Amino acid sequence: MGVSEITQFAFAGLKNGAIYALIALGFTIVYAATGIINFAQGQFYVLGGMLAAYAFGSLGLPLPLAAVLGVAATMVAGVLFELAAIRPKRNPDMLSLIIITIGGSILIESLTRHALGPDELSMPAFTPGPSVGLLGAAIERQTLWVWALMVAVVALLSLVYARTRFGRAMRACAVNREAAALMGIDTRRMVTASFAMAAALGAMAGVAVIPLTPIAFYAGPGMGVKGFAAAILGGLGSPMAAVAGGMVLGLMESMSVAFVPSTVRDVVPLGVLLVVLLVRPQGLFGRAAREKV
Amino acid sequence: MRLLSVRGLTKRFGGLTAVDSVSFDVEQGSIKALIGPNGAGKSTLFNCVTGFEVPESGEVTFDGKSTVGTRPHLLVRDGMARTFQNTQLFEEMTAAENVLVGLHSRTRTGMLAAAFRLPGTGAEERASREEASRLLRMVGLEAEVDVPAADLPHGHRRLLEIARALATKPRLLLIDEPAAGLNTAETGELAEVLYRIRDLGTTLLVVEHDMGLVMEVSDEIVVLNQGAKIAEGPPRLIQKDPLVIEAYLGEAELDA
Amino acid sequence: MGRRMAIVRAGCCLAFAVLVGVAPFATETYLTRILTFVGLNVIVVTGLALLFGYAGQISLGHAAFFGIGAYTSAYLTVTAAWPWPVALACAVALSALGGALLAIPSLKLKGHYLAMATLGFGEIMSIAFREGDAVTGGFDGFTGIGPIALGGIVFRSPESMYWLVWAVAGVALLLSWNVVSLRPGRAMRALHGSELGAMACGIDTVRLKVQVFVLSAVLAGVSGVLYAHAVRFISPKPFNLEFSVLLVAMAVLGGTGSLVGPLSATVLLTLVPYVGAIAPGLPKEVASTIKDWAPDIYGLVIIVVMLFAPGGVAGVFRRAGAWLRPLTSAPSKERA
Repeated sequence: MGVSEITQFAFAGLKNGAIYALIALGFTIVYAATGIINFAQGQFYVLGGMLAAYAFGSLGLPLPLAAVLGVAATMVAGVLFELAAIRPKRNPDMLSLIIITIGGSILIESLTRHALGPDELSMPAFTPGPSVGLLGAAIERQTLWVWALMVAVVALLSLVYARTRFGRAMRACAVNREAAALMGIDTRRMVTASFAMAAALGAMAGVAVIPLTPIAFYAGPGMGVKGFAAAILGGLGSPMAAVAGGMVLGLMESMSVAFVPSTVRDVVPLGVLLVVLLVRPQGLFGRAAREKV
Repeated sequence: MRLLSVRGLTKRFGGLTAVDSVSFDVEQGSIKALIGPNGAGKSTLFNCVTGFEVPESGEVTFDGKSTVGTRPHLLVRDGMARTFQNTQLFEEMTAAENVLVGLHSRTRTGMLAAAFRLPGTGAEERASREEASRLLRMVGLEAEVDVPAADLPHGHRRLLEIARALATKPRLLLIDEPAAGLNTAETGELAEVLYRIRDLGTTLLVVEHDMGLVMEVSDEIVVLNQGAKIAEGPPRLIQKDPLVIEAYLGEAELDA
Repeated sequence: MGRRMAIVRAGCCLAFAVLVGVAPFATETYLTRILTFVGLNVIVVTGLALLFGYAGQISLGHAAFFGIGAYTSAYLTVTAAWPWPVALACAVALSALGGALLAIPSLKLKGHYLAMATLGFGEIMSIAFREGDAVTGGFDGFTGIGPIALGGIVFRSPESMYWLVWAVAGVALLLSWNVVSLRPGRAMRALHGSELGAMACGIDTVRLKVQVFVLSAVLAGVSGVLYAHAVRFISPKPFNLEFSVLLVAMAVLGGTGSLVGPLSATVLLTLVPYVGAIAPGLPKEVASTIKDWAPDIYGLVIIVVMLFAPGGVAGVFRRAGAWLRPLTSAPSKERA
């Protein structure tokens, strides 16, 4: 592999990594508020991307409006899912909540197929134009959008977490939900808010990447697993770790083409997931969690 | 004879030292109580002794054998049983079934033997069921054999957990706050049950908040405060110990 | 176990045998094939009922074991031309090995971590089925699988395959019933109820989890073997996440702590896409709409059961049983 090839793969990896990071952020936010993994997270990515492409292609909306609509509608879907399927659960135990999100995942997937069709959808890049050269590699303009979006999201999240009442409440929930509830934080509202945010993050990932990679209704679980692999690689605890996990995973996956045929490239994030779960479930950057006896 | 010996036991969580170099012994055939204000480290100490947590340093010897690092189920086989502060019953199973699970380490039927109902499985099952009802009678739950654990009143849940622990035929039984949430009459019954268990040859180590019960039943008391042992001795000396009184200041239950 | 229970058991077995045995005489071949699929799913879901319904461990990777069984038997009987019983033994061994491997994460992990690990395992296996051309035939699938030959009998006709599958399902159910009504079954339910409590009762939870994972993987593997010889052609498509989730849906709808519940749920849910074949009076459009919406139904069933009827079908049976008890007057102590 030549130097320019390596940089080309590295940039591709960082592009995918940014997408994984956005989805991983969704996992960590819902995990912080509820203590569960939302198996429907990958569906938000599909829904966001496909809704935007549908709004642009079939409804003829201008692209920026279509993109915003995709994210907003997915957010609504996320909130509706939480209100209809998570909140009504009495005596919620972890296993049943997880199973509910699994059910939600197939339901959303199948409804997406009914509403938006069985085929892949795509839409043009946010800004047209030729690729940009950098370090001997060519970067598509949309990739710059993906990175910009991720940086903006991370900056915004950090600001919200550090400066707002809502952000402090989210952090309190992440540390200890019972204690947060005792301190007067409405944890139920935090759960709904976390689903809204997770849905928005997943949708943004879908909207940002659909000009580069067409998305079909069945892409959710695959993407969800990769996002989760990123989250767990970072260590589920902190948003920054999730972003780092996403980037590392993207790079690993993309560099793996030097060693394995590209058809089995998907094995890399899955393998990373299994190895991390087995060897270091607290992730690269997390501290060991303690089970209370 | 010393059945259990704890030496310099220390357990930390992050920066917090939950148990700080605690040492004490439990004599065979005695009832020993472990008391202390909330957060004194009693439950953590229990967890370290029973193998549910691994201490940073120190030694726990049960019947001459070191137990540190041994997994809990193996200690059960060696004759050490416990109950939990937050009862860990099998809620959807009946009282009898809960006790039957307690008989696990004393019975043998494995997956294959059960699947093919190999000879001996039926006899073992019948014997187990008889033993379970005997144990439930012993703690006074004979009327609730077929009641799911989740439907039992609070006091009976504690008794069921004790019966389940007894099913393992322990030589040492560690009971974590058995009187929590019990009324006076129930606490009285509990004392009777504890005596009965002791008289059948099981040594007891009890964490308890109810001072009346502690002073009545225990032969010796260990007092923990902020993770460290501040006193040890028979009830009448503990009651007068200035350090203990100071630790409990504001928790006016000591003279009960 | 009292005489009463023995009679109930014998009665259930007889009813099961009669109901299952006569079905092919009453139906056409297409329906017999569908009912064979039901039986194959029953075998897998019985294993999942042990794993999920009794031991409280979740797996989103059981389609992989089904696939391991199918491809192992196909490869060994066709490519390697080994006798079928040997292929079966190898398939059982391989799925058991896979189950043990999958159990490793369950030793450290709980709930969602385990679910994700099993999902990852399933996805890796489905890539392996797709890309392992030399063994699996890749995307194009594996053709030319012969019928099962056992002793002098060749299971060639759909009816004979149907009987074989349901006989295996019956044996699997019976053995599982024995397991759950004795010591190992109680240990499994204890593990589900409270892992700490189970440890405090002297249960080696690590060993138990491995055992249950292996058991359920073997049942899925055996079902896969039978599947390969029932359809005679296998492609990677059925061994995917969608099937794993469908299996979980069956176990969830069936309810915890029960075998009869998951059995009923499996029959119900497997037949959803084939509703047109079972109810010939149904207009074609309605039948095809139902088939098209089957995944939605599965997803909705999972959510609704979890929210409003966590006991599932088994819970309904139990409530019905409690109502009927005063009529029969003899209390039944065991749950099947």
